[in-house]
Amino acid sequence: MIEIAQLLVFGVVLGGIIALGAVGVSLLFGILRFAHFAHGDMMTLGAYIAFFFAATLGLPLYFAFPIAIVATIAIAVAIDQVLYRRLRRTAPVILLFSSFGMALILRSVVEMIFGPDTVVYDNAIRLPWTVAGLRIKPDHVVILAGTALLVAALHLFLRHTRTGKAMRAMADDPDLARVSGINTERVIVWTWVIGGGLAAAAGMFLALDTRLVPLMGWHILLPVFAAAILGGIGNPYGAILGGLAIGIATELSTLILPPVYKPAVAFLVIVAMLIWRPTGLFAGR
Amino acid sequence: MSLLRATGIHAGYGGADILRGAELEVAANEIAVIVGPNGAGKSTLMKAVFGLAAVHEGSITFDGSAITNHAPDRLVRGGLSYVPQERNVFASLTVSENLDMGAFTRRDDTTADRERIFSIFPDLADKRRQPAGQLSGGQRQMVAIGRALMVRPRLLMLDEPTAGLSPKFVDQIFERIAAIRDEGVAVLMVEQNARRALHAADRGFVLVNGQTRFADTGDALLRNREVAEAFLGGAGP
Repeated sequence: MIEIAQLLVFGVVLGGIIALGAVGVSLLFGILRFAHFAHGDMMTLGAYIAFFFAATLGLPLYFAFPIAIVATIAIAVAIDQVLYRRLRRTAPVILLFSSFGMALILRSVVEMIFGPDTVVYDNAIRLPWTVAGLRIKPDHVVILAGTALLVAALHLFLRHTRTGKAMRAMADDPDLARVSGINTERVIVWTWVIGGGLAAAAGMFLALDTRLVPLMGWHILLPVFAAAILGGIGNPYGAILGGLAIGIATELSTLILPPVYKPAVAFLVIVAMLIWRPTGLFAGR
Repeated sequence: MSLLRATGIHAGYGGADILRGAELEVAANEIAVIVGPNGAGKSTLMKAVFGLAAVHEGSITFDGSAITNHAPDRLVRGGLSYVPQERNVFASLTVSENLDMGAFTRRDDTTADRERIFSIFPDLADKRRQPAGQLSGGQRQMVAIGRALMVRPRLLMLDEPTAGLSPKFVDQIFERIAAIRDEGVAVLMVEQNARRALHAADRGFVLVNGQTRFADTGDALLRNREVAEAFLGGAGP
């Protein structure tokens, strides 16, 4: 019993990280109609920018994290304006391939600057707390609180601001948004702000939970896509639930499978969803 | 004085032009309908006006100034608004939020307009917090028209607003469209139900093979033997 509860804790932590990435993937797909393959490497980028400010310049993490989020947002918007914007009128598959190229560029830049080796934010050993028999790392509390805060802020933005509502409208139906008079280019920029910012947070939380390595974002891209598909692509709320579901399923799989098969869980979910419920579990559209 | 005028329109979506000499004129305070056989280019004509089909020849003016090939968001700010035939509501947004999206280009308080829409379509008032995707076809159409009215347009364009609706809703929609006209909004619509639409219309256009073949008042077109036989399924009652 305690073992399952422990895995649930790990699963929620991992699921929150996946969810933050999946929200961006889902919104971007709904609005720009292409799978953003560079999203994982955008997470890596955010994590390393925070590493630069924390480890290299010696700023505390609670300063480094917001700076990294802002920097990643700026880079995401710049990539969109310089690269993707020019390709919007072409076939979506061209955008998809260009994002694949962007993924390689981002990863290579990170590797050129920071090297291929594994690094961590700090080497201090923090012992886990024991709460009712569960081992809980202080980092996990930070990750869970940070994720909850960001999800709450996202919810307020999507429900109660003009731009947030327009973003949901556009993810629902870009053509109808256009004929309604919504300034679609502005909404696209805001989508990169949200997607880029949450990707940076996801990357930093992942690095906090494990460690930094240039391939970290690429490796988590599959579960992120699985979460977005599970939640119904274009549906940010579905992406959050999808992320939690994938995270928990991944950790619980170790009850019956050797841990080396963990990454296969997301893959199985994608295959199963595409066969049986391609519009997602929460399809109400 | 005509509000909207389109002359000699040649337009399409990239391949061969679908419209080859279409004409159109709508005055303020009137309902104009475009009828004609399937594939005549009725929807395309409306899309050409709204900047969704490329106009290669001819000109479109709105209130005297040229709007040929202007982008939709610019036209919305200029006083036109358009309801596509299908997929015309944001399914995952609530009824209220759908209306808000119609008012996106406005910066002032739109509460009064929203209440006005709910008084035009009372069915929607107690469903305002429901996602539009959960509504019936007729109610969705009301949301779509309501969304288009939120910007306080001078010309409302409707592409087959009664397609697929039950007779009860068809009556309601026609009745509401007349009420909207009476409030001072010009209406341009494409209708499959030609006889019904011409009865409701002040002015009608019969479009055939991308060309405007007849243009007259709704009543005159209904009485026109040639129109009746070719396009309205024989002489009317």
